[in-house]
Amino acid sequence: MRYRRPGLDIASHAVLILALLAFCLPVWLAFTAATHDQASLYTSTAPLWFGDQGLGNFRSVLSEPVARLGTDVTRLLLNSTVMALGIACGKIIIAILAAYAIVFFRFPLRRLCFWLIFITLMLPVEVRIMPTYKIAADLNLLNSYAGLILPLIASATATFLFRQFYLTVPPELLEAARVDGAGPWRFLKDILLPLSKTNIAALFVIMFLYGWNQYLWPLLITTESDYMTIVVSLKRLLSSADNLVPWQAVMATALLAMLPPVAVIVLMQRYFVKGLVDAEK
Amino acid sequence: MATLSLDALRKTYPNGFTALHGIDLAIDDGELIVVVGPSGCGKSTLLRMLAGLESISDGELAIDGRRVNDLEPAERDIAMVFQNYALYPHMSVADNMGYALKNRGVPKAERRRKVEETARLIGLEDLLDRRPRQLSGGQRQRVAMGRAIVREPKVFLFDEPLSNLDAKLRVQMRIEIRRLQKRLGVTAVYVTHDQVEAMTLADRLVVMNGGHIEQVGTPMHLYERPASRFVAGFIGSPAMNFLDARRADGDLALPCGTRIATSHEVHNDAVCLGIRPEHLSRVSEADDTTLTTRVELVEPLGADTLAHVRLDGQEEPLVARLDGVQPVAEGDTLYLRPDASRLHLFDLDTGRRLDDKDIHSCPSSPSSRLA
Ligand SMILES: Nc1ncnc2c1ncn2[C@@H]1O[C@H](COP(=O)(O)OP(=O)(O)O)[C@@H](O)[C@H]1O
Ligand SMILES: [Mg+2]
Repeated sequence: MRYRRPGLDIASHAVLILALLAFCLPVWLAFTAATHDQASLYTSTAPLWFGDQGLGNFRSVLSEPVARLGTDVTRLLLNSTVMALGIACGKIIIAILAAYAIVFFRFPLRRLCFWLIFITLMLPVEVRIMPTYKIAADLNLLNSYAGLILPLIASATATFLFRQFYLTVPPELLEAARVDGAGPWRFLKDILLPLSKTNIAALFVIMFLYGWNQYLWPLLITTESDYMTIVVSLKRLLSSADNLVPWQAVMATALLAMLPPVAVIVLMQRYFVKGLVDAEK
Repeated sequence: MATLSLDALRKTYPNGFTALHGIDLAIDDGELIVVVGPSGCGKSTLLRMLAGLESISDGELAIDGRRVNDLEPAERDIAMVFQNYALYPHMSVADNMGYALKNRGVPKAERRRKVEETARLIGLEDLLDRRPRQLSGGQRQRVAMGRAIVREPKVFLFDEPLSNLDAKLRVQMRIEIRRLQKRLGVTAVYVTHDQVEAMTLADRLVVMNGGHIEQVGTPMHLYERPASRFVAGFIGSPAMNFLDARRADGDLALPCGTRIATSHEVHNDAVCLGIRPEHLSRVSEADDTTLTTRVELVEPLGADTLAHVRLDGQEEPLVARLDGVQPVAEGDTLYLRPDASRLHLFDLDTGRRLDDKDIHSCPSSPSSRLA
């Protein structure tokens, strides 16, 4: 719909700009605050312009152990990346295989399997977190990447989405592949996966963000700073009463924590557009 | 190249529905068999059983004398062309055609050579790098054919491969399929519901109805001596006319009073008389061997004229194919004389042909019977 009315134009632009400000201002404030030193942050209100530190605060949180954390932000970024990648890739691989089995194979209790997976859609991590913690502890998974990743690696949502996609693949394609001598693995590798490229890219973004933003689970399962994730560290940085909060370090860390998700979205977004342009099927 | 032998093949689907009730057929090397029948009669089911895409509930299927009931589709060395072509959408034409070879481990260079050779054969040279969605319907159909040809299979299977094309292209592709199949000498089974397609393509026709084979034979045999009323009505266009008749002093008497001399030795009192539209000819005078009819609809086709006419006491209108352009109009009275030498008589109850002693024998080649 397009209405040619100047008044409406102005009003809608005003709303858009306000929303944009509301969204950008905190990011802007974080960015300017990260370029000040601690003293100046405590002597004035939130600064709207850059300070004299340049990128020095970023450099120091990345290279030196940060007070209260006991490790540098590089390590935290690495931990978070490993966790997010592990969760995203694991979820996608497992979902693809589970959906493949459910849609293309006839085996006993197939329906039951599907419904069991489907029901777990209703159980977010938080609901089962205590028993999961107990199991992880018993398996010696505390303070390890495996402990961070494994309990979150299966995804009913992704399985369900892949199932829905597979159901739209014409059955003749499978039959043609069978006649052409492609076994189940070949059919998956040569036909199904290339056809689900865009789905995989979309799910990867969603699942990477999901993994990156995990808070409660990494908080429970990691006690050593070597395995702490960056999202958990932010809370840690703010939360002690003994001295002043190092706002410049907090802001620099927060901005660094934003970068990988943004990068993933930007990179994958280009891929989406490409996928949409030569959408096949 | 191969022979196929189907021995009492039955198919019962998991839901308990029996789609095929025992199919016997021997297919000769290099033969083009067309399976024809109304929708839902089990044609696709039969073809898919030959392909190995559907399990065989009972009976035996042999290719070249070797039982293949339990072999995977790829192990049967067959190629199938699907109704919707089932091309791999993300692969180029060349990759689509070469996929089966790739799965067999044929080296890349040889694969390329074979694909190009086949592409030349069917006129696809310039399209090898395209994706299926960049092709027209006819071109996709060609790619599907090429994909089947390039592997040099023992048997081609076609499931209504032309039904998504427009009429002109259909005729063209029909001729081309026939030409290619004869040139390559590959045994083929072709399924269609279109009897014109069936007649023009087939070495032998298999007419199916409700999961049974009604008759097997050459197109002309089926046209001239249909074994049942079903086959008679299915083969030939426009369809055969059927009239109720009684036997009277060695002749056939119609309810309208017309008497038709027949050489058929018929013992039934009442029979179903079949007359093809082309075996009704127009005469100017009525006598007791003609039908007096009223014209309901005229379809001038140029070369001939189809007259849909009504006969007193007859529910279904009759169709007559008259030579050339005829000066008839709706409401006219038309005198038609059936060609007494080309009548077909069927049993009223069973629908079986009455004058045929060897109704059940399917003319098939002796060599393939050995299997
Ligand atoms: N998977 C199936 N399960 C149950 N019945 C089926 C299945 N596939 C086909 N049928 C039935 O088998 C009969 C024959 O089907 P089909 O071979 O596809 O017919 P045609 O190809 O001659 O139109 C139909 O009545 C159809 O409903
Ligand atoms: Mg069919």
